[in-house]
Amino acid sequence: MTAPAGAAEALAPDIDLEAVVAPFRGSLSVVIEDPDGRPIATTSGEAPPSATSVAIRSGPLAGGRVRVWDENPASRLGGAVAESLAVALGALPVTDPEAVRLAAATTRRIEAELAHGRRLQRSFVSLVPPDVPGFEIAAHYEAAREVGGDFFDLFRLRRRGRPLSIVIADVTGKGIAAALLMAFSRPLLHAAIDHTRGPAEALERTNRILVDERRSSLFITALAARLDVRNGSLSVANAGHEPPMIVPGDGSPVRFLLGGGPLIGAFGRLDLVEIGVDLAPGDLVLFYTDGVTDARSPHGERFDEWRLVQAVESVRGGTSAEVVDAIAGSVGAFQGCDEVADDITIVAIRRSVRQTIRRSGGR
Amino acid sequence: MSLETTIEQVEGASPVTILALDGELDASNFEAVIDTVRGLYEGGTRRLLLDLADLRFMASSGLVALHSIVRIMHGEPPPDADAGWSALHAELGDRQTEVQLCAPQAAVERVLTRTGLDRLFVVHADRDTAIAAW
Repeated sequence: MTAPAGAAEALAPDIDLEAVVAPFRGSLSVVIEDPDGRPIATTSGEAPPSATSVAIRSGPLAGGRVRVWDENPASRLGGAVAESLAVALGALPVTDPEAVRLAAATTRRIEAELAHGRRLQRSFVSLVPPDVPGFEIAAHYEAAREVGGDFFDLFRLRRRGRPLSIVIADVTGKGIAAALLMAFSRPLLHAAIDHTRGPAEALERTNRILVDERRSSLFITALAARLDVRNGSLSVANAGHEPPMIVPGDGSPVRFLLGGGPLIGAFGRLDLVEIGVDLAPGDLVLFYTDGVTDARSPHGERFDEWRLVQAVESVRGGTSAEVVDAIAGSVGAFQGCDEVADDITIVAIRRSVRQTIRRSGGR
Repeated sequence: MSLETTIEQVEGASPVTILALDGELDASNFEAVIDTVRGLYEGGTRRLLLDLADLRFMASSGLVALHSIVRIMHGEPPPDADAGWSALHAELGDRQTEVQLCAPQAAVERVLTRTGLDRLFVVHADRDTAIAAW
């Protein structure tokens, strides 16, 4: 069955679809179908079941398909042609109001599914931090409904001393592309950390892979750190992420661990330098994403770093869990009852005042 | 959470288009800013000054906008929206000049410095200095 005359013009008025398929006449058979499966342009009738079929994923024809077949079954040209035609047709501008509405609805549905998938994925990401004797670790994560691409990863490395690896990152941008980049980057960073000598090298390698293998207009701000759990020595590499905060156990002023390089994905090289700091018993290091500092009050103010410091000071000397709760509570109260606009991630690691591992000579 | 943009043309031996951003640049509007610049480029703009004097806040999405703007003004339209840009291989001294910035507020400047995007831009104190220097 053929679509009513003018259907192609209604969907994609800017392009003559017959002219798109015409050049293939004589060598290949090509059919373009609308989202209801009706042919709106064809070289030679209806496609046989053996035809290669590729979905058009965006633009005014989103949901439609390109079907290509060849009399010569050995030819592999059909697949390539179908693929490129579908991509090209997907890039057509959406102009028809009805098509605009449909395309928007499709995008919303896909985004909702991805958001769901993201939450599901998150539920596998253990929010229960690894057990590290001598340290208290607490984490808080809150997902935004739409925007947001935070992730964090805490794991013990399989090497001498079983150091703790810390990753906290935020994918910029929003929507499908950001969700996909996040799903892609987390295991990539994890693997890079497993296979490099230190955090700076791991971030450099991740950047190189993302830049070489994947053209993207999105970036990742990422911080990777390694904690020697035997002596509290922490080494931090920062690719454009919010600076960690050091909260000394002796009551001296908090400070931000500044320094780092550009975010991942924008430049060919990061040239990161690792920053070292020694955590004494009672010292706490705090990692967070911009969902905290960029949180917005109903009056339009931003939470900012000074309120973060204030929240930390309000529970000075407290455990990691108390510090994380104080910040999360403070951001929540500041934002009011609205849904969070961006993902919020907070991770606190405190070196215990009293070492829990104590070996005595005998009983 | 709103952003207003104003476009001004400075004619002369080297015409400059000024795009002033007023408000907050974030995930809700960064794509619109990219589209605006794409329109300007297609309309013939080859020198773009982003006036940030009234930009109170820039979220990380704003960085995506800046990066894309540099790409567009460099005459590199992406093959399609999902393909994206390739990374910029900016070396020291290799700063592009098609897009320049002026008058960033402290909060915006901090974000640019922290994320390394500052290395992409020549930043001027104000409009007049920028125009005179071009």
